[in-house]
Amino acid sequence: MKRYALHHFWELLISMTHKELTTRYKHTLFGFLWVFINPLIQMIVIGFIFPLFIKEPIPHYNLYLFTGLLTWNFFSLSLAKGSSSIVNERSLIKKSKFPHAIIPLSIVLSNAINLLLSFALILPFTLYYQMFSMERVGSFILGFILLIIFTSGASLLTAALNVRYRDITFFTQAGLIVWFYLTPIVYSIYSVPPALLFIWRLNPMTSVVQFFQNAFINYPAPGLAMIGCNGTIAIATLIIGIWVFQSESKLFDDWL
Amino acid sequence: MKKINPEIAIQLTNVSKRYEIHHDKPTLIEKLTRGRNEIFWALRDINLTIRKGERVGIVGPNGAGKTTLLKIIAGITHPTTGTVVRNGKTVSLIDLEAGFHPDLTGLQNAYLNGMLLGMSKRQIERALPAIIAFADIGQFIDVPLFTYSFGMKLRLGFSIALHSNPDILILDESLGVGDAKFKRKSQRALQKLISQHKTFILVSHWMEFVRQNCDRVIELEKGRYNGKKRSSL
Repeated sequence: MKRYALHHFWELLISMTHKELTTRYKHTLFGFLWVFINPLIQMIVIGFIFPLFIKEPIPHYNLYLFTGLLTWNFFSLSLAKGSSSIVNERSLIKKSKFPHAIIPLSIVLSNAINLLLSFALILPFTLYYQMFSMERVGSFILGFILLIIFTSGASLLTAALNVRYRDITFFTQAGLIVWFYLTPIVYSIYSVPPALLFIWRLNPMTSVVQFFQNAFINYPAPGLAMIGCNGTIAIATLIIGIWVFQSESKLFDDWL
Repeated sequence: MKKINPEIAIQLTNVSKRYEIHHDKPTLIEKLTRGRNEIFWALRDINLTIRKGERVGIVGPNGAGKTTLLKIIAGITHPTTGTVVRNGKTVSLIDLEAGFHPDLTGLQNAYLNGMLLGMSKRQIERALPAIIAFADIGQFIDVPLFTYSFGMKLRLGFSIALHSNPDILILDESLGVGDAKFKRKSQRALQKLISQHKTFILVSHWMEFVRQNCDRVIELEKGRYNGKKRSSL
């Protein structure tokens, strides 16, 4: 019975992810390319303006930016859409009994597939500049796992709370704007004053972005203290997210 | 897991359900500034045992708690206090067209909907020819759902629910889905399920209808059930 439930959970998650991907791009000409075009425009704009103010130039700044922007777009899109997902899918919640967690998780998973495809498009540049190394594939895997853990936790948490407090999704969106600048995407982590570094230690996205920058453009990997702090917070977020979601999901129907 | 009598389909013990009344969308800011909401008890101390194969009608005026009771039986919401024991798969035939996605084809929707009703992919694959034949939508199965008429959506929803192999079915009097032909077909399908010893829970405003079709009537009044048993005969 338990094994069947787990099997059913996966089947349902995969179907919902498939639905997310097909419905999102069904009526758009470019389809998947839109995921790519948005960060590309951001890269061109920021890559043009930001170097005018920067003291120490970052080598391969455009690729550096693009890596961070793709990662960030995955995170902010998942969280923004995830936080309102339960409210948006109320007709499913009110219809039948099923594991509700598949709703926000299918959004994370469908975005993760897009992210992997986008990364595949960076790879030729990495190869061209001869910055690719099998040794740093581990960095990519670690970064990806950390990203999925943290994004899933944060999405479950905000999606569950948004049912009872509908303004959570607005708080999330406002928070994401500030959060972007607290993640080393347009600047280097080495330009952060040491006295303020604790803020970046509290932000798991720091390690995620650093791991990817390491994997794609051979930028230094995050330090052990950073990985430790970020990893702990990411795992704690996932545990709290699952716990809050499980207890709140029993009463979703009452609030929708 | 608690051991239950295999003859019992549904058992509710001291079930009460409380709702908080909120007039606008609930928000965190409101919660912090205003404090507690008004509360409302939709159900109070319901004790109810439904045996396997029983056909039970739930009647009562608007606001008596019929919908809340059905939602608790179906597991869509949880009681504030009390316990629910459910023995078998429960499928609701109310709001059949809910949960369909307009951009997906009938086939894709059938898969998704079937899974949400607890079917596995394999089960759906096997039931698919029967689902399509029963819904009678022919080549429209490969067309996005936004092109369907309301009747087609209902027929597809009904057909999926019917083929999801439920042990306990929840339906209401408005079940007259589709045209006369489909109505007859669905009547026959339900008759067949009755003969298979499935449990039926029917909700209605219409006492006569329930008396004709059910073994037992539960009269709810202001969230309470006095437990008085009435026979249909």
